Amino acid sequence: MYHVIENTKCECGHQNPLATILCESCGKPLQDSEGVQDTPLEMKYDGVARRSQKDNPGPLDRVWNFFSSVKIAVYLIIITLLTSILGTIYPQENTFINLDPSVYYKETYGTLGNIYYLLGLSHTYESWWFITLMLMIGTSLIVCSLDRVLPLYRALSKQQIRKHMSFLMRQKVAYSGPLQSEGIPADPIGWIKKSGGFLRKKGYKVHSDKDGTALLAEKNRFSRWGPYINHIGLILFLGAVLMRGIPGWHMDQYVGFPEGQPVKVPETPYYLLNEKFTVEYYEDNPGVPRIYETQAILYTCESQCDDPLKEPVLREVHRQNIIVNKPLSYKGLLAYQFDFKQTPMLLSVNPSLRNKQTGETYGSFELSMFKPQTRYQAGAYTLALKGYFPDFDMDDKGQPITKSKDPNTPAFIFLIQGPGLDANGEVYMYFPKQLDKERYRQDELNGVIASKLELTAGSMENVKISGFTSYLNLRKDRAIPFIWVGAAISMIGLIMGFYWQHRRIWIRIDDGVLTLGGHTNKNWFGLRKECADVLRKTGIDVDPKSLDSGGKES
Amino acid sequence: VTDILVSISGASGSFLLVAFLLYCLGFLLFVIAITGKRWSGNDSEAHAKAWGRAAYFVSVAGFICHLLFFFTRWYASGHIPTSNMYEFMTFLAMMIVLASIVLFLIYRTLVIGAFALPVGIIILAYASVFPKDITPLIPALQSYWLKIHVTTAASGEAFFAVGFAGGLMYLLRTMDYKNASKPARKEQRWLEFTLFVLLVVIGFVGTIFSFSGAGYKAVYENTIITVDEETGQQNTRVEETLYVLPPIFSPHNGVLKEMTPFLGRETALMEAPSWMKGNQSGRKLNTVIWSLLAGGVLYGLLRLAVRRPLGAVLQPMLGTMDPEDLDEIAYRSIAIGYPVFTLGALIFAMIWAHEAWGRFWGWDPKEVWALITWLFYAAYLHLRLSRGWMGKKSAWLAVIGFLVVMFTLIGVNLVIAGLHSYAGV
Repeated sequence: MYHVIENTKCECGHQNPLATILCESCGKPLQDSEGVQDTPLEMKYDGVARRSQKDNPGPLDRVWNFFSSVKIAVYLIIITLLTSILGTIYPQENTFINLDPSVYYKETYGTLGNIYYLLGLSHTYESWWFITLMLMIGTSLIVCSLDRVLPLYRALSKQQIRKHMSFLMRQKVAYSGPLQSEGIPADPIGWIKKSGGFLRKKGYKVHSDKDGTALLAEKNRFSRWGPYINHIGLILFLGAVLMRGIPGWHMDQYVGFPEGQPVKVPETPYYLLNEKFTVEYYEDNPGVPRIYETQAILYTCESQCDDPLKEPVLREVHRQNIIVNKPLSYKGLLAYQFDFKQTPMLLSVNPSLRNKQTGETYGSFELSMFKPQTRYQAGAYTLALKGYFPDFDMDDKGQPITKSKDPNTPAFIFLIQGPGLDANGEVYMYFPKQLDKERYRQDELNGVIASKLELTAGSMENVKISGFTSYLNLRKDRAIPFIWVGAAISMIGLIMGFYWQHRRIWIRIDDGVLTLGGHTNKNWFGLRKECADVLRKTGIDVDPKSLDSGGKES
Repeated sequence: VTDILVSISGASGSFLLVAFLLYCLGFLLFVIAITGKRWSGNDSEAHAKAWGRAAYFVSVAGFICHLLFFFTRWYASGHIPTSNMYEFMTFLAMMIVLASIVLFLIYRTLVIGAFALPVGIIILAYASVFPKDITPLIPALQSYWLKIHVTTAASGEAFFAVGFAGGLMYLLRTMDYKNASKPARKEQRWLEFTLFVLLVVIGFVGTIFSFSGAGYKAVYENTIITVDEETGQQNTRVEETLYVLPPIFSPHNGVLKEMTPFLGRETALMEAPSWMKGNQSGRKLNTVIWSLLAGGVLYGLLRLAVRRPLGAVLQPMLGTMDPEDLDEIAYRSIAIGYPVFTLGALIFAMIWAHEAWGRFWGWDPKEVWALITWLFYAAYLHLRLSRGWMGKKSAWLAVIGFLVVMFTLIGVNLVIAGLHSYAGV
């Protein structure tokens, strides 16, 4: 590919960069061949040469040129659009928690589902090619904008007032006619002044040239920057989305919180306590839930945080009721109401020691099912915890074991010392649940001591039970502020670009002949009306529609 | 208090009916204002002006009634009526009428009333097919973002609807029915197809109303066995399907429980194919077939009556319009709607999603389709920068774009289930 050395100097004397379409100064078309003189002028970016239209492009220039093309941008948009459709055919993997996709798609949707999975469409939006597409769109946004905005800025900030005749007559809105008032040739300078006044009233900034026989009226130039501001917002938005990949920027966990039991919030120093969970249904519509609410307290762990044997030292930092649409929010940590389950679970009992012979009761202490203490005091008696089995069972050899960490069948082995007991203490086995007590025959196991003492919680008031487990979605997303800022900038750009139009009207008077050209980037209807209004006010009666020249030089 | 609320919600329904009738009347007046020019002799300008003014005021009166419906229903239910398909579609229709009025006020062209208003009327008729009950709000919908997101999104979509009408007008105006070359014939057929699709929607509403008005009913039962993954236990559930249209297709493996005989038949003609396993898919297939049949019959009757392509019949209505103005009306409407749509369907949706579900974007089918709509119109707006894409091509894009919008609103709920499934069809 070679270039003929072009003469880019315009007849008005301005030296234009290569590939300029319209002279940057007077607007004379520079690249027209004879045949196309009756088509409207290409006014995009005011006919300036873009960066991508450089001579002898190097490899980097070629990449730049590729991404600077609007055609490529449209292709990228359409490819993204079509591939996005593919991702909605079957549910995506991320809609399920715990799922083996290699089995699920085949079982649920048959062969087609399996092909869908094998093609990687079950995670379309996380796939490398989709992310590559996003990156290419981002690049295109940056390059397209830079390629155009700088030359356009240059061109708009140094506009000539008296434009070339063929520039004016080949505008989409154009008019040419004798300048007369009541049949007598009018004073050109006065006319320009008068019409300038009308245009000012319509919000135009009016500039006239030295002789006072040509004017340029311009308004809402800022709207030309709308698309570029929109693109800046979109670039920021896309960037923020990609930044979520940085470790520590993004957390997304689902954790169950049983009532009354603080649970550690992963990846943070916090513990969250679900004090009480409530679910209510509509009175007249019992199938429809009205509200889910978790009364939550957030603690920060001061010490003994990672020691599983010791109770962590917690300090309350925040307290909030979480409902759907109102997440707990504390220093960037967000906790959303996600789900709940009815899970009756024993948390603690407050038993007291009763002397079976006298009926006297001693003390009352809180016995936790999760973190029991090693020693309790009840009156004159000392209870030392020798063993705790939250989910009690016996193995083959008759030895006590625990099946899990959940207090389903809690069993405690105490060594009790005190009046009327062996000096070395006596062993006492305690099942807090009445059902377990009978099933494992607690009294028989305890033997002699069972006839002297009894550990019992008595009424239900002394029992703490968790009724619900509330599932919260715990999130941290440091990209969020950038997302909102990007969206806001984008929106400002869209509004600037779409609700205002950059309008320009050029008028020149030569030897009693008035020539008018008008350009807008949108809403030609409105521009024609304004031009016709101005002409009418100065005594030239034209139908707005007749100004639509179609760009023909007549 | 309950009595008052009931009577208010009753009154609310009447306002909507009045609005519907006024829209229909307004549409007729617009048509008379345009077509009557020819039989009003010399005074055609005055005729168009007088009838056009009447048409405009009747449509605005309809819009006011529609607003009254909206606010009384809001008062009666205690929440903004945009939470189920019936409420959303009536709202969308209201916004389409508003967008038509806005564009009419900018361009003062009667054809906008004659072509954009019926789009609103069809959507409103379509809305009336859905259950009208006021439904209580589930927790996920209890947010003021419901009001903001849904109303803004619908407003943007309403301008796309007017863009669709503009594109359709451009195509009708510029179609050369004398040209019998292959590409021209192809284009004429596609335009006819677009009009046919509109008739299918009308046919759908018509059949539903005829049969439910006559009290038609058929009931099928399906026994569904599911196996609990943890326990391996089998659960049996009986699912009932209610047909309001005579079953041409019965649900796959459905057992007939009750059926009003239709044309002497007491069973369905066919059974839905086995691969249609989705929720109520047999019934949906049946409805689609009925709509196509009704639309086909309607189209056939109209063609028999006029003996010309329907597009050729509509063309003279646009006789004096400048095609470039029509192109601009379509473009302008989309340009007005685009920022509104971006704000409502994407940005506000993201803010709400962030508050409700803890993520601003989750690739839920409805979200993806909103993005697809947005990308489609982004492509449209960029293509208009290129030479050769104004006019005909861009008119086709405006028409297709609105189909994408309608698929996002209705098709996604019909075909793909997702988080937005509570919007129910």
